[in-house]
Amino acid sequence: MVDDITKMRNIGISAHIDSGKTTLTERILFYCQKIHAIHEVRGKDGVGATMDSMELERERGITIASAATNVTWKDTDINIIDTPGHVDFTIEVERALRVLDGAVLVLCSVGGVQSQSITVDRQLKRYNVPRIAFVNKSDRTGANPYKVCDQLKEKLNLNSCMMQVPIGLEEKLEGMVDLVTMKAMYFDGNDGETLRIEEIPAHLVDEANERREIMLDTVSMFSDDLMEKMMEGDDIPEEMINEAIRKGTLSLELCPVYLGSAYKNKGIQPLLDAVLKYLPCPTDVENRALDLDKDEEEVVLPSDPTKPTVALAFKLEDGQYGQLTYIRIYQGILKKGTDLYNVRMKRKFKVGRLVRMHSNTMEDINEARCGDIVALFGIDCASGDTFCDPSLNLSMTSMYVPNAVISLSITPKDKSASDKMAKALNRFTKEDPTFRTHVDPESNETIISGMGELHLEVYIERMKREYKAEVETGAPRVAYREAISSSADFNYTHKKQTGGSGQYGRVAGFMEVLEVGEDGKDYEFVDMIKGGSIPNEYIPSCDKGFQEAMKKGSLIGAPVVGVKMTINDGQYHTVDSSDQAFQTAALGAFREAYNKAKPVILEPIMKVSVEGPSEFQGNIFGSINQRRGMIIGSTEEGNNCVVDAEVPLSEMFGYSTVLRSSTQGKAEFTMEFAKYGKVPQGVSEELIKAYQEERKAANK
Amino acid sequence: MVKKEITEKSPLRKLESAVQGGLGAGNIGVIASKKGIGKTAALVHIATDKLMQDKHVIHVSYSNRVDHIISWYEDIFSEISKKRDLADAMDVHDELIRNRVIMNFNQSGVTVDHVLAGVKAMMEAGQKGTDAIIIDGFDFTKAADGDISSFKKFAGDNKVEIWFSDSYIRNEGYQDEQGIPVNLKPFLEDLSVVLTLKNEEGFMMMTLIKDHEKVHAEKLSLKLDIDTLLIAEA
Repeated sequence: MVDDITKMRNIGISAHIDSGKTTLTERILFYCQKIHAIHEVRGKDGVGATMDSMELERERGITIASAATNVTWKDTDINIIDTPGHVDFTIEVERALRVLDGAVLVLCSVGGVQSQSITVDRQLKRYNVPRIAFVNKSDRTGANPYKVCDQLKEKLNLNSCMMQVPIGLEEKLEGMVDLVTMKAMYFDGNDGETLRIEEIPAHLVDEANERREIMLDTVSMFSDDLMEKMMEGDDIPEEMINEAIRKGTLSLELCPVYLGSAYKNKGIQPLLDAVLKYLPCPTDVENRALDLDKDEEEVVLPSDPTKPTVALAFKLEDGQYGQLTYIRIYQGILKKGTDLYNVRMKRKFKVGRLVRMHSNTMEDINEARCGDIVALFGIDCASGDTFCDPSLNLSMTSMYVPNAVISLSITPKDKSASDKMAKALNRFTKEDPTFRTHVDPESNETIISGMGELHLEVYIERMKREYKAEVETGAPRVAYREAISSSADFNYTHKKQTGGSGQYGRVAGFMEVLEVGEDGKDYEFVDMIKGGSIPNEYIPSCDKGFQEAMKKGSLIGAPVVGVKMTINDGQYHTVDSSDQAFQTAALGAFREAYNKAKPVILEPIMKVSVEGPSEFQGNIFGSINQRRGMIIGSTEEGNNCVVDAEVPLSEMFGYSTVLRSSTQGKAEFTMEFAKYGKVPQGVSEELIKAYQEERKAANK
Repeated sequence: MVKKEITEKSPLRKLESAVQGGLGAGNIGVIASKKGIGKTAALVHIATDKLMQDKHVIHVSYSNRVDHIISWYEDIFSEISKKRDLADAMDVHDELIRNRVIMNFNQSGVTVDHVLAGVKAMMEAGQKGTDAIIIDGFDFTKAADGDISSFKKFAGDNKVEIWFSDSYIRNEGYQDEQGIPVNLKPFLEDLSVVLTLKNEEGFMMMTLIKDHEKVHAEKLSLKLDIDTLLIAEA
């Protein structure tokens, strides 16, 4: 274990499918001597490389899919954290991103910035993750690292800057010129393991000088000293350039671009050097936690080993050794045998076995310090839980989890499937808080809900594959909401004073629209009672009554969101008022005001992005239009077009089939939840009618 | 104010009356100026004015990102709604954006036929009833013979009006003695309205160069407000 925190990197490798992430990871493991031979990606039988790389990824699942792999390059520990490639399960991706301090964005030298690169970049930006870019596959025909560098600027708005000049391109790629040291680098040996440094070949001297000027111009923005030296025309010390690049990279204002070919074993060592030189160590990054004792106020966590411990469980893995919980330590030291507090479960536990994960083995350790990534055994927790010293009550992530937008019923095919299904559901809900399950009290069916059709499909598939639980699924249902669109007053008296113990309470005030903000808070209660017209003890009863009423709106029985309730008057009875009486009064008051406040139905709207050949763009436009969708824009590049749209989720069921058949299977789409939007009048009427009929049927 | 009043009071009515009631379906209009003094803003204002009248607009651009253009629309809309105190601004906004589509063609050397095929597909399948097309960033210096006539024919066939921008490096010297911007000269016949925007002592003044059949430079009492980038009465 490395003691110095500055000798540690937690990085992610992000890439579009098939830009060579697998091959690159393989090479990194090899050069860091984690594995002793490189497994060829292409099979001898010459099967297509795409399939091969997917096969390999599956075979090597333990290495690449394991949550964190630890390698050592020179004297620095690098934890490579797996970031899930799919974009549908945002919460999981975002958690992985919280754990990273830096990232390597892998791009294909031919494909350039592709759709998934854009998604990944957006997420990196949201979490302020510094990054360097690696233009892989520079040995391919049509390779153009400069073009990719420009695309990073144009499409991702990154201040990208080439750090190297290729020596030969496409199949003639021999090595590269480092623009900081101004030396040529070649990669000798069977597996490119020997780095040979030479003078720049004569034909490239001019180009290298020119590119170096551009590079220096760009990075001099981050160092006054460097700028001064340049103005004076002095020689510039290497250290000074490195410092400027590092400063620019850490502040996210610069993205150094490297190139190479992982498959041809070229350019990996310089990339690893760049990771060490320019990507942040844990202390360079400011991490924040939310203080639950102070209404989720943000606190900065200094990476200080002497402070009380704070750690985040970011991934659970059910392996051959039982349940492993991967954690990242943000502050303090984690020691075997000490007590930790699980903030979400509000429970203390003892740290048992503590291990550091390597590619295929694990090492028992006694303690780990801030910045590190380690795994715990047999801890009962969910992914995303924060563990901290019992003296603290901090959470690394907001407790807010987005509401599910879609649900469907599942029924096990037989008795044995039923047990397996229960086991699988238990596990999935722990892994992913956006995946939920409950039993519908009316139909007695198990209902699963989540963030999209695909989200649920994947879990059903996993149930089948990992737990051998065969289930039948019902039709998916969209999670509607209700909301008000204007303000309304209420003044409601609940009175039942005929024989026996009476009930009395009057509640008055007004109801207003509450804009649902980032924090997801969708209800607010304001007490403006003066002079005790409602005694203090009954104020919480009113609050409770309102919240009860919000569970079911009167239009279609969907939950009500975005309401601010203010009470300013009321009346009580010394004998007949009670908690129950005021709750009932509040419930009645809510319903009274609700119908006056122009209630509307809201439905989940998805952000949909369809990508396909231009010749089918008409079909794509049409398919969105038919789904009450709104086309925001379309972008054409080459022969490809990307259409961005917003479409109600309820209209997206079965879209993949429709899209496939109307574009000969050449278009694909992704979608993610965007917002809740008002349902148009016509649809709203239909929903209300259906709801009333359903209720009538139920009452018979 | 409500939507209708804003439309009635819009300075664009003044522009319309200056060009015999507006550009009109089947015709092409161009705003020419030096780079970076507000052509895009002016085009977006024209588009927003159409949207306010419940018309449909396709905005074609040759830039890299759709979201840049969207933010132009957002800015112009919020300036208008602020200035005129638009009632139910959010609802109007949501209504408006449904009628607007942005199409981006960002490869170099894309042909006019290709663009028109895309726009046609959008009009047939995506955005029915399009009234106006905004084309920002088209390079007239690279336009081939017949390109502009193709646009003109398209405008006529589909009964839409098309607004272009035409960009120059300098503020002066890009016009001939009649005031016609040089890039546009070969295509003048197909252009119904040509306007220039010029920085005159800090004001972006609008001049009418061609008005349907008439070619004459006529200063309009219209300018581009420097703060809001809205077209305004001078």
